[in-house]
Amino acid sequence: MLKSMGAAKQAVHANVGSETDVPVAKSTSSGRKILPIVEGVVLVAALLAPLVLQDYLTVFATRVIILALFALSFDLVWGYAGIMSFGQALFFGSAGYGVALLARDLDITNILLVLPAGTIIGLTSALLLGGFLLLGRHPSSVIFVSLGTLTGSYAADRLARGWYYLGGQNGIPSIAPMSLGGYEFTEGPAFYYLVLGILVVVYLLCRFLVRSQFGLALAGLRENEQRIAFFGYKAQHLKAIIFTIGGAIAGLAGSLYAFHEGFVWPNMVGVVVSTQVVLYVLFGGSGTLIGAVIGTVIVEGVSFWLSDNYRDVWPIILGLLLLLVILFRPLGLISFVLGERERVGSFGAKPKEKRNAAP
Amino acid sequence: MANAFVATFEILSFGAIIVLIVLGLGIIASMMGIFNFAQGEFVLLGAYITYLAYARGLPIWAGMVAAPFVVGALGFVLEALIIRRFYAAPIVAMLGTYALGLIIRESVRGLIGGFYLTVPEPIGGSIDIGSVHISAWRFTIIVITLLVMAGCYLLLSRTSFGLRMRATLENPSLARASGISTPLMYGATFAFGSALAGLAGALIVPVFSLYADLGLRFLIQGFVAVMVGGVGSFIGPVAGAGVIGTLSAALPWVMAPVVADVLVFVLAIVFIKFRPQGLIAGKGV
Repeated sequence: MLKSMGAAKQAVHANVGSETDVPVAKSTSSGRKILPIVEGVVLVAALLAPLVLQDYLTVFATRVIILALFALSFDLVWGYAGIMSFGQALFFGSAGYGVALLARDLDITNILLVLPAGTIIGLTSALLLGGFLLLGRHPSSVIFVSLGTLTGSYAADRLARGWYYLGGQNGIPSIAPMSLGGYEFTEGPAFYYLVLGILVVVYLLCRFLVRSQFGLALAGLRENEQRIAFFGYKAQHLKAIIFTIGGAIAGLAGSLYAFHEGFVWPNMVGVVVSTQVVLYVLFGGSGTLIGAVIGTVIVEGVSFWLSDNYRDVWPIILGLLLLLVILFRPLGLISFVLGERERVGSFGAKPKEKRNAAP
Repeated sequence: MANAFVATFEILSFGAIIVLIVLGLGIIASMMGIFNFAQGEFVLLGAYITYLAYARGLPIWAGMVAAPFVVGALGFVLEALIIRRFYAAPIVAMLGTYALGLIIRESVRGLIGGFYLTVPEPIGGSIDIGSVHISAWRFTIIVITLLVMAGCYLLLSRTSFGLRMRATLENPSLARASGISTPLMYGATFAFGSALAGLAGALIVPVFSLYADLGLRFLIQGFVAVMVGGVGSFIGPVAGAGVIGTLSAALPWVMAPVVADVLVFVLAIVFIKFRPQGLIAGKGV
């Protein structure tokens, strides 16, 4: 008892007394290390999943991983830059339609061609739409951008439904599987690990991006756009850049989704999928990359689990839960384990010890 | 000649429907700064109440009269419980009302199943003018829309209630200092907007039949109309709704329907981009 009190006193002393002795202070102020643990647990679980899951569940898990990649793109745009993109499915779906057309009309299924093609389709459409909505002499209001993306997605949905070349209501069925040389990626563990690998790479790239100086500028943008503009940053350009990156990732996810499901249909570009991705990210926790992944896994997992008995009730429960999260946990489920300080994190190169000492 | 007359009538009646739906949306958006994603579901609820009355053997008119009051009351309760927390953050309000709409829509879907339920027109038949026939019910919708528009305008511009409402929405703190209960006014405004949506749903259900995604169909058109018309006044959204409704109904007569459908949205977004204040800028009624 006495001994532990003494130790605590010493710790306090170390904490208060010596500004230079930062590592001690860091280890005593716990909660600095939760994020990597969460990420590690999720990664290990994802790596082991196909070993314990049955075949049909592996197929389901693959779909979830692809959707998590898609959720990542929305999180980047909303959670980090504060652009409410209600039409993220536009990039997801148009890339899906694009690669489906490549496979159908030109017989191109080589993975080294279709994935970059999908990414470029997503990137280009996001650049065009984002450039139009965000750039210009007068900065656009957040409301205009969110309704503009929503309208874009809705219009694309109507176009896909009505255009015979795109298959109308039925979409494009039976897309040939992706191939690499003679190997064909069909549903199963190989596809799962391919998608997981892509997710991990994209995740790490995003993590690097949001922790860089660029990420710092974005965080400033999200918190107070006017101040960032006064500092001399071109706020609109930053927004357009991150919007385009988000579009590219959504395009990559969309092309994977098209090949995994084997068909594309109008909902994929429409409002349904656009709002679904908003749900994932809000549940998990916007502003943390891992939150988007966890949110996707939880929403899709519970929905799959309930689908046998409670198919009709689930959307109502989903709506209620969403309302509760918005009202009482605006930072999502991840905020139960993750402190505010760690969520914001640090930026740029590893700071010098002195600088980090100031709380 | 007869053809042109029929086309004009079709365009007018569709325009009237859009105006009716946008009225409530526009009042809530202009006066409170909230884009209510649940508005489509209020329309759906109005339609559902009318259907319920019909299914219970009551006259359809009874359902149509009850719908705005029931939906308005629901709007008042929802405002007091939930919407009130969102005023500071318009984006959060969008998400919150979206969640509300999801709950209402899926509940109604559970109640009616995946069916398209038809409700007969209370005024059936057609009006014959020489050799052309126009639907009597659609004509009634046009008349009611004009009456409702005039009523809203008079309510907002001529009554003390309208004055207090506009005062609250223009400068809340000054209104509070003048002794107006602003929370009550916000609640009343939201209830009023919801009631208009309920009325719209009740009136259009004989035309479009009842299905769970009925409201969703009009929601985005409604948002675009509000933005085109200009947020901040009563007249703006109505004008926007007239333009969007007329364009949506008129363009398919001159080009392929798919192209027309998309073109309306593209034109609207481009217009808003270069004229963010909308057709009719500025405050006022």
